[in-house]
Amino acid sequence: MNWEDIQKKVIKQALDMGFSDCEMHYDKTEAFEVMVMEGEVNNYENSSTQGIAFRGNFENKTGYAYTEQLTEEGLTDLLLTAKENAQLLFETQKETLYPPQKQYPTLQCENEMLERLTPEEKILATKKMETAAMHTKLPIASIDYCLLGTYRNQTAIANSLGLSLSFCRNNATAYVSAIAKNGDEVKTGSDFWKGNDWKTFDPTKTGKRAAERAASHLGAKTIPSGKYDVVLDQAVMASFLGVYSGVFYAEQVQKGFSLLKDKIGQKIAADCVTLHDNPLLENGYVSTPFDSEGVACYDKAVIQNGVLQTYLYNRKAAEKDGVSSTGNGFKAGLQAPVKTAVTNFYIEKGTKSQETLLQDMQNGLLITDISGLHAGANTISGDFSLLAEGFCIENGKKTYPVEQITIAGNFYKLLEEIQEVGNDLFFAQSGKGAPSVRVTKMDIAGE
Amino acid sequence: MLKQSLVMHTLEAALETGADFAEVYAERTKRNRLETVNGIVETAFGGVDYGVGIRLFFGNRVLYGYTNDMTEQSLIETARTLAAAQKGTQLQKLQPYQPYIYQNRNPIQILPNNVEKRKKAEHLFAASAAAAAYDSRITQTKASFLDVTQEVLVANTEGVWAEDCRIRSRFSIEAVASSASEKQSGHLAQGGSVGFELFSQIDAEQMAKEAAHIAVTMLGANHCPAGKMPVVIENGFGGVIFHEACGHGLEATAVAKNASVFAGKLGKQIASPLVTAIDDGTIPNAWGSANIDDEGTPTRKNILIENGILKSYLIDRMNGKRMGMLSTGSSRRQNYRYAPTSRMTNTFLAAGDTSVQQMIKDTDFGLYAKQMGGGSVDPATGSFNFAVLEGYLIRNGEICEPVRGATLIGKGAEVLMDIDRVGNNLKRAQGMCGSISGSIPTDVGQPAIRVKEMTVGGRG
Repeated sequence: MNWEDIQKKVIKQALDMGFSDCEMHYDKTEAFEVMVMEGEVNNYENSSTQGIAFRGNFENKTGYAYTEQLTEEGLTDLLLTAKENAQLLFETQKETLYPPQKQYPTLQCENEMLERLTPEEKILATKKMETAAMHTKLPIASIDYCLLGTYRNQTAIANSLGLSLSFCRNNATAYVSAIAKNGDEVKTGSDFWKGNDWKTFDPTKTGKRAAERAASHLGAKTIPSGKYDVVLDQAVMASFLGVYSGVFYAEQVQKGFSLLKDKIGQKIAADCVTLHDNPLLENGYVSTPFDSEGVACYDKAVIQNGVLQTYLYNRKAAEKDGVSSTGNGFKAGLQAPVKTAVTNFYIEKGTKSQETLLQDMQNGLLITDISGLHAGANTISGDFSLLAEGFCIENGKKTYPVEQITIAGNFYKLLEEIQEVGNDLFFAQSGKGAPSVRVTKMDIAGE
Repeated sequence: MLKQSLVMHTLEAALETGADFAEVYAERTKRNRLETVNGIVETAFGGVDYGVGIRLFFGNRVLYGYTNDMTEQSLIETARTLAAAQKGTQLQKLQPYQPYIYQNRNPIQILPNNVEKRKKAEHLFAASAAAAAYDSRITQTKASFLDVTQEVLVANTEGVWAEDCRIRSRFSIEAVASSASEKQSGHLAQGGSVGFELFSQIDAEQMAKEAAHIAVTMLGANHCPAGKMPVVIENGFGGVIFHEACGHGLEATAVAKNASVFAGKLGKQIASPLVTAIDDGTIPNAWGSANIDDEGTPTRKNILIENGILKSYLIDRMNGKRMGMLSTGSSRRQNYRYAPTSRMTNTFLAAGDTSVQQMIKDTDFGLYAKQMGGGSVDPATGSFNFAVLEGYLIRNGEICEPVRGATLIGKGAEVLMDIDRVGNNLKRAQGMCGSISGSIPTDVGQPAIRVKEMTVGGRG
C-alpha cells in the first residue's frame, strides 16, 4: 500500500470506529551504507522502510499508536491500540488537531544528483577516504571505522481536517575514525562530512583530518587537579547544547524540569551569546518547512545577547501558556509521540578565530573532546562532570596533549560565564552548532 | 511469522548470487510505553515494529538489507539488489532446516499484552505518590513502565531455523528534589525477561522512596572533591564499571579488527587475580537473556576472565570467521534494522569474600559510590567514564557526608589490575547498552569492589 491509499483508508476506518477526528504520519526511508576496511568493502547495507503513526480523538481523549506492518491486520491493530491508549487518559488531555495553515515556507532539501550516484562511486569515495587516513606520515596503526551512508526520506502528515503535507530530503554522511599508536599509547580521532551537494565532499581531506586528530593527541599527559581557564572547542560546545537543549522546552519548564521558569526577558547568558533555532537554515542538517504537528517552521532567537527571548513550544505546551506554537513539536521517529525538539540549534558566531581566543586566554586548556554526556550531565540540575581530552595552552600556544581529566561545572553557569565567542561556527551531525568559546576557571580533575 | 517456502526461496535467491552464506531475520515486536509525570499519564503509546533483515556473506564481506515489506517478491528483490555488485556464480547449496527445539528459559506468567493498560498505570500512580510523599522537597516525579513482546525468526542457508519470543518489562522511577535555586534527581529502574508479574517481584513503592531519598540527599550534598583516591563501588549497577572498562573491549566487534586493548591477550593476565567475570545469556528471566542469539545460535554462559586471566571473547559468526574462532552465542541487534554483532548479555563479576563494611573500614580516605549512572568507553583506547548518582566520602574507615557530581574515569587495562577487594554481595541490575548494532537490554552486575586508586572528577 502506498501513502495515498493508506491515508484514505485509515482516516475512513478510524472515523467509522468512533474517532471524532484523527491524524497520520508517514515516514518512508531509503538508506544505503558502505563500510570499508583495508581497501575492501567489509559491510554494505541497503534498506527501504516505511511506517505510520496515528493519533486520534476518541471520546474526547487523544490516543496514539504506530505500526510498520502496513497490511490490513496491521492497520486494524493500530487503531485498536490507539483507542485503548486514549481510554487511559483524562478528558483534559484531549489534543486538538491542526487545520492547514495558509502558507508554508518552501525549502529545497533534495538534491537529484545524489540520487544518481552509483554504489560504485560511493564505494570509491569511501576507499579514498580510508587511504587518505591510512597513508600519511603520521603513526596511524589502523582505521577503526570508515563509512559512507546516503539517505532519502519522505515525511508526510495528513489529518481529517484537510491537512496534507509532504516533504522530501536526502543527504550523505561520510565518517572516518583513525587509530594512532606510539608504543603502548593509543589514540583515536575522527572526522565527518555531511551534506547533499556531493561536489563539496573531499574524501581525502576528511580522511586526513581524522588521522591528524588522532596523532595530535599522542604523547598525552594528565595534569594536576585545579581550576583552569579553558577554551571549549566548537564540537564540545555543540555537544553541550545538544544535551541541554531540553531546558529551553516549554513543556519541561511547565512540568518543573527546567530552571528557566519565569526567566523570559531576563539575562541568562553572557552578552556575547545569541542562540538560534533555525529550521529554515540553508544546507542545515535538520532543516524542515513544518513540524510533526503541521505547524509552519520559522527562524527564532532563543537567546539574544544573553537575554532569554522565548521557550520552544509544541501545540500542547503553547495552549497551556496561551501562546502560539513555535513549530517545535517533533516526533523522534514513528515510535515516539510528539514532544519538543530543536532543529538547527546554534550559537551565533563572533569575530575572533580560535587562535585569538587561545591568545586571549594565555594559559589554560583547550578542550577538544568530552565523553559520557548521557551519564555525566544532569539535565535537571545542569551539573556536569565529564571525561575530557585536549591540549595544554601556555602563552597562547598549544604545548602538549592532555588526557584522563574531567571537566566539571553547571550548564546554566557556563552560559553566564562565557567570555568570548569565536568565529568558527561548526555544526554536529545532529544539527547542534557552536563556535569555540572561552570560559574562565572551570574545575578540572586530574592527578 | 514467515512461511518456510518463502524463506527458502529468499535464501535460494541469495545463494544464486554466489554468496557463501545467507540469513533471514524476521521480527514482529509489539511495544507499549506508559509514562506518568507528577502522577498524571503523560504518554500512553505503543505500536508494532515489523520487518525482515537479510544478510549475505561474501568472504569476509557482509551485505545487509532490510525492509518491512514481507512479501516474497520484496524479499527476493532485497537479496538480489544487495548482491548486485558481486556478479558471482552459485557456490553453496541450501542445507535442509534443522529446527532448534528447546525449553523456554524465560517462561512468562502474565503476558503484558493481556493486561489492561489501566492496571499498568495504577502501579505508576502508586509509585509516584510514594515518591512525592517521601519528603516535602520532592517537587516532580516521573514513572514509566515499558513492555516489549519481540517475536523473532532466524533462518540461514546452513540449516538454522530458530524462533524465539522475548518478552521484557521494565519499571523506572525518577524523583526530583528542589530548593529555591537548585534541582537534584534520583532514579532507579528494574526489569527482566518477565511479564506483568514484574510488579509482584519488585517493590515499586520502595524503589520510589529510594529514588526520592537520593534526590533529597544530593540536594543537600557538596560537590565531590576532584583527584585520585580509592573508590568503593557498590554492587548491582556498579557493574557498569566492568561493562565499560572491559566488556566492550572483549566484543569481537572491536577485537577482530585489532581495535581493542584486549586483542591478543587470551590466556594472559589482564585483571587482578581477584577478578572472575562472566557473561551469561541463559539466566532464567534475566533482562539480557534469550533462548537464542540473533543469529539463531543458542545462548550460553561464557567465562570471560577467570582469576584475572582472559579466557574468552564475546564472538558472533562473522567476526568469529575473521578471527578463526567459533561463535559464543553473543550476536545481538536492536531490531531488524541492524546487522547483528557480538554484544554482552548479562555480564557480571563473580562474588569474592570481603564484606562491604570491611572494605570501607580498610579505607582511610576515599569515595563510596553507592548508586551508579551510565557510562561510555572508547574500546580502541580503553578510556572509559561513568557517573556516580549517589556518593559519600569515606574518612577513617567510615561513611561520611554525601557528595554530588562525581564522575569516575580511567583506562580499562589499568583499572582491572587495580581492583584490590571483591565483595560477597553479588547483585545484577538492568541497563540499556548502545553500540553499533543498536540499543539492547543488558544486565550489569557485581558485588561491591574497591579500586585502590581512580581519578574522580568533581569540583574543588
